[in-house]
Amino acid sequence: MLKIQLCITGINYILTYIKTLCVSPPGKPRLTSCRSPEKETFTCWWEPGGDGGLPTTYALYYHLENSETVYECPDYRTAGENSCFFNKNDTSLWVNYNITVVATNALGKNISDPVEVDVVYIVQPNTPENVTAVVVHDEQGPFVRVSWEKPRTADTRSGWITLLYQLRVKQEKDKEWEVGLKKKRKCLIISYIYIPRERSLWIMITIFSVFIVLILTWTLNVKRNSVKLCLLPPVPGPKIKGFEKQLLKSGKSEEVFNTLVIQGFPPTTDYDELLVEYLEVYDNEEQELVLDGKDLSEDCMKSKSPSDSDSGRGSCDSRTLLLEKCMEGREGSGSGSDQHQYSQHGETSWASTESSESQGPEPGSPESADGCGKTWPVVFSSPQPQTHHHYQVGAAKPAYHSVPEILNHSSPHTTPSNYHQLHHQDIPQQEGRFSKPACRHSQSYNQFNLDGVGTPAPGVPPSPSLEYVEVQRVNPENMLLLRPLSDPNREPEGLDCAGEDYSKVKEVTNNILLLQRDTSHQCVDYYSQDLDNQADQCTTQQPPHPCKPAVHQSNSRMPHEGMRVMGNGYVDSTVLMPSY
Amino acid sequence: MSSFLPAVAVLLVALLCLDLHSRVASAPICTHGPSGCHVLSLADLFDRVIQHSARMHSLSNDLHSEFEQYFLPSKNHIGKIYHKCHTSSILTPNGKENAQKLAREELTEVILKLLMAWRDPLFQLHQSMAHQQDFNSFSSNKALEMGDMAHELRKGVEKVAERMRVLGMLGNSVTGLSAAEAMLPISDSGEAMSNYELLYCFRRDSNKVQNYLKILKCRIVPEHDC
Repeated sequence: MLKIQLCITGINYILTYIKTLCVSPPGKPRLTSCRSPEKETFTCWWEPGGDGGLPTTYALYYHLENSETVYECPDYRTAGENSCFFNKNDTSLWVNYNITVVATNALGKNISDPVEVDVVYIVQPNTPENVTAVVVHDEQGPFVRVSWEKPRTADTRSGWITLLYQLRVKQEKDKEWEVGLKKKRKCLIISYIYIPRERSLWIMITIFSVFIVLILTWTLNVKRNSVKLCLLPPVPGPKIKGFEKQLLKSGKSEEVFNTLVIQGFPPTTDYDELLVEYLEVYDNEEQELVLDGKDLSEDCMKSKSPSDSDSGRGSCDSRTLLLEKCMEGREGSGSGSDQHQYSQHGETSWASTESSESQGPEPGSPESADGCGKTWPVVFSSPQPQTHHHYQVGAAKPAYHSVPEILNHSSPHTTPSNYHQLHHQDIPQQEGRFSKPACRHSQSYNQFNLDGVGTPAPGVPPSPSLEYVEVQRVNPENMLLLRPLSDPNREPEGLDCAGEDYSKVKEVTNNILLLQRDTSHQCVDYYSQDLDNQADQCTTQQPPHPCKPAVHQSNSRMPHEGMRVMGNGYVDSTVLMPSY
Repeated sequence: MSSFLPAVAVLLVALLCLDLHSRVASAPICTHGPSGCHVLSLADLFDRVIQHSARMHSLSNDLHSEFEQYFLPSKNHIGKIYHKCHTSSILTPNGKENAQKLAREELTEVILKLLMAWRDPLFQLHQSMAHQQDFNSFSSNKALEMGDMAHELRKGVEKVAERMRVLGMLGNSVTGLSAAEAMLPISDSGEAMSNYELLYCFRRDSNKVQNYLKILKCRIVPEHDC
């Protein structure tokens, strides 16, 4: 026991000693807040920083702005511990207070940081008083009436301060308050209608909308197919017209492919007729033909121009014909017969321009009115449809090229009444001098047929124009009879080969163009020629092709390279144009 | 044509006569409510003026806060040197009792003095804020609005004073109305005040004006909301 007491006493002494050792000046106090409830007085609080083990006293000092006089806090007690209360007399508004707190103990003192305070800005009114909430039952329903009074100290009567009230409501279980609008300095009593049914109303609305959504979903689900059709119309799949799957399944490929065949394609007979009918012969007046012997070559050379404006006209171009003529002239082989009939063999495509009306079968004596005509001797064009002329162009060498091969067989031939023949009458065959007679010939023919050229042929007003002819038939004398398409009297009369159609080229071999009759193969004739390759060739073309003079091939140039036999038997003449 | 001449002559004479007798000063056409004109009562005038002053004070408060936030990061820092506000020469009641002790005329006079003293400084403040790059246009516009509002408020208070005088509430001892003078914001040391100081001082003075007006109103037109 005694030991314990002694221990305790010793410890006390030690602690006291330690305390005395550990004393220090007070800690720094700190002003925590200052507040004025009514803008007439204010209070400031501080917290001590630590007494340092010794009893410490605190003092608050202040001085006003722009003044050095320091005042001490007038009231330390009213506001409680560690506070300073400034009463009305000591409170000045719109003036800065510089406040400090000094803590003092035996060992020293400590001064807090100064705080600038303007009373106007630290106003915090007191709470409303006598706040009561009463439930009042009315015909409209129960509501809560909240009433209060203004804080006592607030002087709103004189307008010194203005108070705004704000109501907050929350249910007992809630955590947060519902805050209403701030009311101005008004009524002390305010009614607040609180509708507890609001929430249930919202619940009902929510349930109702959910219900509606469910119904809509169910409806859409039921009608989803129609909805899908409406929103996403089906895209038709690709189909082949006439093609049926069943046919394919059945395995009958013929039927299947038959359905795929498009009727009317490719055009066959109609096309043939079309092509047959249009033979275009040009009468090129501008083409100068000098048939002098010397000049002939020159002309021939001249006419060998690279640019051949043979666009679309086929090779019935005057130029080519002209060259033919030149070539013929050079050859100098003339039959010498008085009458040269230029008959054209059937197979050769002969672009014959229809003749003029010329009733006279013969052009009569060729009169060389003027020089060798510019016009094409053989090619005529006259727009007189009523006449039914066919020109048989013999293969007379001199000067009539166009179907020179055909002209080989020049034989007098009497044509039926409605045919005309080109006769070379009074054509002196002169060796080496073909120009004149050729000219004459041409002249005659010019006169016979061409427009604007020299003397008019008897009864034959020449007029250059285009008219299409067709090969009517080949007469037994191997003459190709042509007739213009525009002739309304077209009728197969005395056709040797009934219903023959010589519009197709059968084949081309060895400089030979084979024309093929459409229906039978009997009327096929050969057309061969061995002309020089110097002269240009009038490209061989068939009657169906527009504007195709007789087939003319040179040995040098195989038509193969130039000729293009199309699938339907037609030859594209444009390809055969010689290039210089 | 000749018939119009006398009518024209009569019109001209009438116009001339009216012109001669017309007054330059604007006089209220309607002085009484029941006649159909809507006459602003003194209470309404006061309310308007007080709203004006409240708006003005809130603007000054905003500007001052912005200043403190961006240019003076530390509040209450030691070493702040406050120049005296240029309006410190104007004696203003610094408490409720003092304000209530003042007569209406004096109170009105103080209000007008304050407002007048801030006419030019506010203009300068706006100008300097508009030119400086530190301020955004929003602040500059606030300063401009503040200046305009101070001007309008002054006009309004003058109108109120006029009305009070008409109503006999103000005696003839009001000399402040004419004595109000514009003051330059120059501190004692002669230096121009900075923008912050101007804002600081104006915030205070606008609060004063608002308070004084409220007191004046509740004293002159006591209503239930006072």
